[in-house]
Amino acid sequence: MARLILTWISLLILQSYLIPIAFGSKEVEEFSEALLLKPLPDRKVLAHFHFENRAPPSNSHGRHHHLFPKAISQLVQKFRVKEMELSFTQGRWNHEQWGGFDPLSSMNAKPVGVELWAVFDVPHSEVDTSWKNLTHALSGLFCASINFLESSTSYATPTWGFGPNSDKLRYGSLPREAVCTENLTPWLKLLPCRDKDGISALMNRPSVYRGFYHSQRLHLSTVESGQEGLASGIVLEQTLTVVLQPETLFVGTNIQPTWSINSLFGRKVVGRCVLAKSSNVYLQMEGLSGHESKNMDTEMEAHELWKNADFELSLKPDRILREINSFLFIFDIDISSDSEPFDLGLTWKLPVKWSCQQAPLHASRFLMGSGNERGAIAILLKATDSQDKLSGSDLTNGCCTLKANIFQIFPWYIKVYYHTLQIFVDQQEKTGMEVLKKINVSPSTDKMSSGMMEMMLELPCQVKSAAISIEYDKGFLHIDEYPPDANQGFDIPSALISFPDHHASLDFKEELSKSPLFSKLKEKSLVRSYTEVLLVPLTTPDFSMPYNVITITCTVFALYFGSLLNVLRRRIGEEERFLKSQGKKTGGLKKMLSRLVAKIRGRPIEEPSSSTESPEARSSVFSSKLFFKFILVAGAAAAWQYFSTDK
Amino acid sequence: MKIILLVMLLCSSLAFSAGETTIHTNNWAVLVCTSRFWFNYRHMANTLSLYRTVKRLGIPDERIILMLADDMACNARNEYPAQVFNNENHKLNLYGDNVEVDYRGYEVTVENFMRVLTGRHENAVPRSKRLLSDEGSHILLYMTGHGGDEFLKFQDAEELQSHDLADAVKQMKEKRRFKELMIMVDTCQAATLFNQLQSPGVLAIGSSLKGENSYSHHLDSDIGVSVVDRFTYYTLAFFERLNIYDNASLNSLFRSYDPRQLMSTAYYRTDLYQPNLAEVPVTNFFGSVMETIHTDSAYEAFSSRMSNSKIDTEMPLNQLSEHDLQNANNPNDDSKTEKQKCPYSQMRADLHEKLEKLENVDTVVNLSIAVMVLVVMVTSSLL
Repeated sequence: MARLILTWISLLILQSYLIPIAFGSKEVEEFSEALLLKPLPDRKVLAHFHFENRAPPSNSHGRHHHLFPKAISQLVQKFRVKEMELSFTQGRWNHEQWGGFDPLSSMNAKPVGVELWAVFDVPHSEVDTSWKNLTHALSGLFCASINFLESSTSYATPTWGFGPNSDKLRYGSLPREAVCTENLTPWLKLLPCRDKDGISALMNRPSVYRGFYHSQRLHLSTVESGQEGLASGIVLEQTLTVVLQPETLFVGTNIQPTWSINSLFGRKVVGRCVLAKSSNVYLQMEGLSGHESKNMDTEMEAHELWKNADFELSLKPDRILREINSFLFIFDIDISSDSEPFDLGLTWKLPVKWSCQQAPLHASRFLMGSGNERGAIAILLKATDSQDKLSGSDLTNGCCTLKANIFQIFPWYIKVYYHTLQIFVDQQEKTGMEVLKKINVSPSTDKMSSGMMEMMLELPCQVKSAAISIEYDKGFLHIDEYPPDANQGFDIPSALISFPDHHASLDFKEELSKSPLFSKLKEKSLVRSYTEVLLVPLTTPDFSMPYNVITITCTVFALYFGSLLNVLRRRIGEEERFLKSQGKKTGGLKKMLSRLVAKIRGRPIEEPSSSTESPEARSSVFSSKLFFKFILVAGAAAAWQYFSTDK
Repeated sequence: MKIILLVMLLCSSLAFSAGETTIHTNNWAVLVCTSRFWFNYRHMANTLSLYRTVKRLGIPDERIILMLADDMACNARNEYPAQVFNNENHKLNLYGDNVEVDYRGYEVTVENFMRVLTGRHENAVPRSKRLLSDEGSHILLYMTGHGGDEFLKFQDAEELQSHDLADAVKQMKEKRRFKELMIMVDTCQAATLFNQLQSPGVLAIGSSLKGENSYSHHLDSDIGVSVVDRFTYYTLAFFERLNIYDNASLNSLFRSYDPRQLMSTAYYRTDLYQPNLAEVPVTNFFGSVMETIHTDSAYEAFSSRMSNSKIDTEMPLNQLSEHDLQNANNPNDDSKTEKQKCPYSQMRADLHEKLEKLENVDTVVNLSIAVMVLVVMVTSSLL
């Protein structure tokens, strides 16, 4: 009984300590979830999941987490990460059809495989160590081979060509990394409701991975508290972007396919994640030009927006927002419950065609040349339709210009000759001075570091096409450096083309919603697009069977011919005579030795056939011994010399 | 000199016997698929089947090291994205929603495999990629891929030889990284991979003898490749009937292999493993079933076990607990080893003292030089 009372008292004391800690900071951790659905012009549907988790600045001596994942906050604290982004992507973003000039594409169109960049808050000398440790930690956390980015040949230090300007930034990408369930599951485990409840419960693995494109992204940034003794706050943003093909019943008609959340994912939203501050589903409809002119003040008009001649929604939106050329229907999923799950559907009635807004230039990259020795890489920038409409271009010295940044990493075995850089604008070669405003090159070192090229082009606004080409030689790898499937070829990571003067944002008239996804869409984001990954075939040794077969065949042939030659050329009589003459020469030392051996064995000495010794034989024995000793000493001296000078 | 050697031998043997009596603390599994490329789908399915089984029988994900040499689930050729099947009826998705792959793709190399076994990692390697077993651990090591006489191919590029495996296991034993280890291999000529094993506490099963091939079980015409190997298929058929409370012995598992069905002869190497196989439940390796120890009060668990070793024999695995009971009856084995360690250290201390007593160090040095010169003379004359 006394023990019980004691424990009670101790518990009470503990509680009195804990309560001020828990409620000491006024801000609390916040989590919000959102799903944005968007029909795409090519009969597909884009689904963009957005989860945001905020941890306020707290006491640096320890943090009590309610919603924020501990694994991430430990990562931030241990490696002093200021900002980090990790993305896992499969498939290629179709810039023509899915858009290239909106916040969704500029933030979520990622290169194939794994991309990681991080900015650290450590002294310059420790940045590389932090990066190395971070890659290992992330590889354990997300079940991927991110630790391959630790080697200095796989990452680079961009200065200005990649978004954030910082000298403590490291960037690396693994184009061939597979992305599958094992990467998504730990990512989902960072959410407070995991994939059990709320919007994240929709993520049925087979339907997510059946899509044309999926990109899973994790972005974290620290918010400085500005106060002494307080650790900085962390904002963790997790997004998953999937492009899915709804199953169509009427093949051949022009009508866009009808879909619902259930038909896309095979699941419905059953209630919200109760830990989330806000839980919304958005539907973005682009290109509804017919309704643009109408005034939607009245309830009647609003009703017509979601149930009209073109299409019909299965649920009544809670709010409707309009932008310059799109509408956003907002649904709150507070009310749905087990009995009535939330299942938004879209039914098209008339064939509607529209197009997405595109980036000023469409970028593609390809290889030129043939053979296993040399080649060239070309980046082609082509003007798109939207170019004329864009007014973001810079008017300097009276002429209109369009700025484009190109950021490219070359693995060390692609030995680029930077002096061969050629720039063509509208099929006419230009000298560097005319269009190249800024260039930064860090050449690669064999087996030490990868090469990097950043350049800023300033093109005239009316440009139709611009091409950049650069030549390279292919290097040789050591036999241990080839991957097991070397015959497939080697990947050159995607180049990043960004337009520093263009920012994409959705400009909504109303300031109604405070949800993080909404503010992300309103935020101005740099327009950027990644090019394709290039596959370069390198000279590979023949590792496998044919090589072995050749070796063994040659061995057999050598043995056969060798022995045949031996048999044919051998003169036995001559050899016997030679042996007899040899047998007479036996050294005195040998005799002594045999005597010694005989004594040890306890047997009588086997007398050699002849006991006579010629003095020249004796001297020859001595000389051979002397010679051997001489070589031994010389060898020892040489070895000593070699090892002592090696340092 | 001889005495020193003898004492050393005694000490080491005692250390081993001390290892034998340690209590079974946890279960680990290292599951390795060594084959790359789509047509080796069945090897990944084999490994994932075992992964599912050991997870179902109670080994948690953090104690399973799963190595998959290629990505089959999200492979472009897979008609069923994020799903892997080991049967053409497609009833069971082996990949599930909660798979944790620790090493994948190019990371599955002989080097990494040896590092996992021996625990010699770089500092930065996270805990989830390490085999953090202790001297009371039971480890299941399952390997599948393409093999031959005394080797197993990794990724079609390098080989693990039977000597490498034996050395790694020996090192594990010396580092006290396991109490009992079961190696299960499904390759052609799997039995040859165990030829060099010497460490005690190791049990090995191979799918085929020397000169025999291990065959795949059946082809799935939807997926387009064979989906499972015969040996693993029948192993699974055995385990699918079991749950965590079942008491099937290893012997019954071994007896379940029929050479006519396997089209090869399953091989067991039991000479390094002392317990009677008929009394060892399969969950000793394929699951995580711990014995329960009743203690009179909290915080005194270990000492009370030593003194009166009350072991719950109501547990379904009474054979196991009986076996451990026998071991536990050896009283105070810790102090015994300490005593036995003493003579050796005493000897060393004595020698050290004697050396220190010698006042003239130079004479010792000179003497040794003279001896060396003599030795050199003798050897050179022998040449």
